[in-house]
Amino acid sequence: MAAKPGTASTTYSPVDPTHKTKPSIFTDSDWVRPDSRGFHQCRPAFFRTGAVNSASGSAYAEFGNTKVIVSVFGPRESKKAMMYSDIGRLNCNVSYTTFATPVRGQGSDNKEYSSMLHKALEGAIILESFPKTTVDVFALVLESGGSDLPVVISCASLALADAGIMMYDLVTSVSVSCLGKNLLIDPILEEESCQDGSLMIACMPSRYEVTQLTVTGELSAPNLSEAMQLCLDACAKLAQIMRSCLKEAASAAEE
Amino acid sequence: MFFRIVHAPIFLCFFASDRRHMKDPTGNWIAEPPSYEPIVAEGEGAFLRIKKQKRMGLPNASEDLSSEMEVDAFRRLFPLRYFERHLTESIRPDARPLRKARDTTIALGAVASADGSALAKIGSTTMLAAIKMEVMTPSLESPDEGCIAIDFHMPPICSPIVRPGRPAEAAPVLSKQLSDTITRHVNFVLHSGMINLKELSLVSGKAAWMAYLDIYCLDADGALFDAALLSAVAAFSHLQIPVVSLDYDGKIVIMSEEQKEENSETKPVNKEKRKLTLSTIPFSLTCILHKSYILADPTAEEESIMETLVTVVLDSSGQLVSLYKPGGSVLVYTSAVQDCVALTRQRVKELQNILDDAISGMEID
Repeated sequence: MAAKPGTASTTYSPVDPTHKTKPSIFTDSDWVRPDSRGFHQCRPAFFRTGAVNSASGSAYAEFGNTKVIVSVFGPRESKKAMMYSDIGRLNCNVSYTTFATPVRGQGSDNKEYSSMLHKALEGAIILESFPKTTVDVFALVLESGGSDLPVVISCASLALADAGIMMYDLVTSVSVSCLGKNLLIDPILEEESCQDGSLMIACMPSRYEVTQLTVTGELSAPNLSEAMQLCLDACAKLAQIMRSCLKEAASAAEE
Repeated sequence: MFFRIVHAPIFLCFFASDRRHMKDPTGNWIAEPPSYEPIVAEGEGAFLRIKKQKRMGLPNASEDLSSEMEVDAFRRLFPLRYFERHLTESIRPDARPLRKARDTTIALGAVASADGSALAKIGSTTMLAAIKMEVMTPSLESPDEGCIAIDFHMPPICSPIVRPGRPAEAAPVLSKQLSDTITRHVNFVLHSGMINLKELSLVSGKAAWMAYLDIYCLDADGALFDAALLSAVAAFSHLQIPVVSLDYDGKIVIMSEEQKEENSETKPVNKEKRKLTLSTIPFSLTCILHKSYILADPTAEEESIMETLVTVVLDSSGQLVSLYKPGGSVLVYTSAVQDCVALTRQRVKELQNILDDAISGMEID
């Protein structure tokens, strides 16, 4: 007697009532992050290329509990309805699994993240190198553990590199959450849910160019410049990890 | 207007002109022929240039066209013949014997946000299954039973065929087959139920578990049903049901660690029911039938060329759970089906061992 998901709107996931009081801790002056990291310390990052064999290129990224797979297809024929274009097209899609979030979701496409991913990547890709065709970048968030979009962007640029799409540089992305007076880099889901403001940067570290910068919520001017510097430094470090991942994959392929 | 895109090496392999169209019926030139020699194809014609380095290494590939073409071109142009040539040598293009399945692995607990999860890989076909437990009010007919909802997803990342917004045709079909296999199995409780739905009950008539099982295909390379079913049963064996209690509003809430130790007035409703008892577990094997050959565990390429598939589902005690033969051009003799069942019986033992290893590996950690 299996019910179809559509008919199951009457179900609810049981919550822990003691959890509700937790956010108040964040406003205190001396507290530790839930995963006992320093404020300016990122989660350990793990990258692996070639996660999906049927794609032209792919990458898997894991930052703590945030787990993401990105597949790249193409360059392939553009849709019939598309107008003629001298330069290539980039098509991005980000979706979540139904079990990615603590409360079971619908697993639908995330339109906002799809367009943000597109904007973060398009500046880095040499679209002239594949005229009249389309490169598809599809991301699936297997598990959402905070800082989802930055992880998706970094992982997508690695997948593009794996697919052999020409780029000016890898795009790396890091976000910072502002809680009270504190700036927390690479926030987890709990921290993101009670942040006052946040800043996300996607950049090309070797060229020192920013492809996307988003600021939401409350962030004072001195905090803003400090947050930007934090992000840019972290992006540079992330690029090293991604580069070494690509090198490893290339040397493994040679053997 | 129609165009056909032809791979350049293949085109060069066949492009030729013998100037036949420039002669009238009596064999005289209609126009003055060009001074240069006619273009002769590499693949056929008088001047064969045999590519010795890339030649297919099969002994009887002598007079055939295939010996003069690049292997890759032959594979693309005549996929069926390419495969049949392998089959006569009792080997498959990926160097497997005909009746051997690909390497299979299971990793339990891949998703921390779910109550039970598993990642199953057969060759490069990858499936991620996760179970989330939610609470529902049981129906009046069965106040002591929970429910299982199964959904199979093919996100655009898994295959070049799937595009966002256009779900793959195979997904709803597989979804139905999986839920038939798992939940039908559930229903025959008297016989050999995989899960007793009564174990999902919390408070009779008031609350019961609804287990949402979602299976995501991360990489589609054939035998999707086998991999999906394997990940599903692995997720069920990994499932840890949270300890819950009934609060004053009649809602089910999760018990925190402190409450469990304090032994306060709230009592857990499901203290003993943390794991589901899986009495028997279904496993499956998909085979391709082509002429008199049986190919176990096909890849996506094989599935696209030879269309007749037979999927046999057996449970761990060797009883037949279901059998699918969705059409296809080859009509099946019962003997072939019996062969498939025998192959599945062997495969079930393998899969059972792989699953047992994965579970015992979890317990050590």
